[in-house]
Amino acid sequence: MPTQRLFERIDSIELQQVSKKYGSRYAVESLDLTIEGGELLILIGPSGSGKTTTLRMINRMIGPDTGSIRINGQDVMQLDPVRLRRNMGYVIQNIGLFPHMTIGENVGLVPKLEGWDEKRTNARVRHLLDFVSLPPERFIKRYPRQLSGGQQQRVGLARALVMDPPLLLMDEPFGALDPILRTQLQEEFLEIKKEIGRTIVFITHDIEEAFRLGDRIAIMDNARLVQVGAPEDLIFDPVNELVADIVDTKRKFKHMDTLNVKDLMTPLDAKYILNGGVDACDAVEIMKDREIEIGIVFEKGMLAGKVEMVNLLKCEDDRPFLRDIAKPMKVFALRDSVATALSEMKRSGEYVAMVMDGDTVGGMLVSDEVLLKLI
Amino acid sequence: MIENFHEIMALWDKHLLTMRTIEHLEMFSIALTISVIIGVSVGVIIYIRPGIASPVLNFLNILETIPDLALLVILLPLLRLGTGPTIAASVIYSILPIARNTYTGLKGVDSKYIYVAEAIGLSPRDILLKVRIPMSLPLIAGGIRIALVFTMGVVTLGGLVAAGGLGTVLQNGIQLYEKDAILLAGLWTGILAVILDLGAGRIEKKLYKRYGTWQPQK
Repeated sequence: MPTQRLFERIDSIELQQVSKKYGSRYAVESLDLTIEGGELLILIGPSGSGKTTTLRMINRMIGPDTGSIRINGQDVMQLDPVRLRRNMGYVIQNIGLFPHMTIGENVGLVPKLEGWDEKRTNARVRHLLDFVSLPPERFIKRYPRQLSGGQQQRVGLARALVMDPPLLLMDEPFGALDPILRTQLQEEFLEIKKEIGRTIVFITHDIEEAFRLGDRIAIMDNARLVQVGAPEDLIFDPVNELVADIVDTKRKFKHMDTLNVKDLMTPLDAKYILNGGVDACDAVEIMKDREIEIGIVFEKGMLAGKVEMVNLLKCEDDRPFLRDIAKPMKVFALRDSVATALSEMKRSGEYVAMVMDGDTVGGMLVSDEVLLKLI
Repeated sequence: MIENFHEIMALWDKHLLTMRTIEHLEMFSIALTISVIIGVSVGVIIYIRPGIASPVLNFLNILETIPDLALLVILLPLLRLGTGPTIAASVIYSILPIARNTYTGLKGVDSKYIYVAEAIGLSPRDILLKVRIPMSLPLIAGGIRIALVFTMGVVTLGGLVAAGGLGTVLQNGIQLYEKDAILLAGLWTGILAVILDLGAGRIEKKLYKRYGTWQPQK
């Protein structure tokens, strides 16, 4: 029986004052959290901190005692649970492929229940197996027990994506895999994440995984939300010991003060360099060819500033020269402290700055990359 | 040796053993089919309504304790002589093992699969049909195998109430004191039962390989 689509995309998921009690113990207490459409939000925390309960309340596997959970403004408790769940993908650590069904049947189960005809289901299943790098002709007829753990996890992901849900819920999906395989799947998942651009809520206990995959990270402890923010917020501005502990500020960042820009900058790739005498429309073409979103403009060997693709697209009216529209950007010296540089960048909302060695270019400082180098 | 073989064949023909075997298997198949249909249905119903599971199973247990000969005789006034009481008695005995195994199987499906099924959006009905029943098949097959042995025994006993089948040959042999006939029919019935049980065992094993994740509940 086909169920109606509830939402084409997620604008927001709002959890307001959500509590869930088991006996006298809170599993989740007064949780306020807004998940923005299109982001990958990580839930992380010690076991028993309430992250899985939170995730399960989003798809109504668990009903909250008090508070409300709204997806695009609709209270999930007002929605039919079967319909709600068919509108979101769900992946868990132990995968739970049905052992009596082939890979094809596992992935195609919900479409079949939705009344899709065999041809459509088959095409969708094949497409998804391809998507998760399992050649359909080799895998579609196999049984789960004939697959390795990593392959099963890919099938689990394909199954979650089969109805093309705008929201994915993932509960430690890579937790049971060995470290190398986990890293590989994370890399692939990042590609997938880019391609599908949907909202994802992702539980992990691995902070490196959280930093690698997450747009924002929510730290939970003892049934409460402790802090939520971008990775650098947590690293530079932990609200308490626990957060500092989880992001491991002490161990990894205690030498932040001693590091300077030179240690963590990225060499300036020639592809980013644009000449100030180029007009905006030509620059758009050049940037498309070079596959860059941001350009550093030089005029007669001097830094003029930066331009961003999004701002150049409306170039038709007056075709301005880049030297006239380049925005000033922060410049640091090789010996400047990284900590100071990053906090300055954060304050002005910039993610890239130039590093100059006197008059010559030293390199670029990209905030995300700095963090990854530190982790 | 060859002489013996000819003697056996003569005895076989004299007692119409081919026809009796067909009658026997016919009764057996009808009885077992009805038992499976009723047994599985009862198992599913008591699974859906767990409140009645215990009384139903207790009642079936009581039926099970009635000696088969007595049950046949009790059924005579209701169903008269012939195949009727035999098939009815077989079914009454066979419901319990099938229903009990079906019920245990449905209940015992590993909860992680049920959890996943719910989480990806299966309705309770979908979960029963697509997950619980298929995953209980090995255990249901085990119940049917027990029922098969019961049914074989009761159908043979049917000779006493003029149901036909191999029991009739045994019955005649006893009344006319034909030792050879008793021996032949007895052995043949035994062989048949063993073959059927082996066949059922193989099917059960296959189902275990295909669906076998069932684990006893702790």
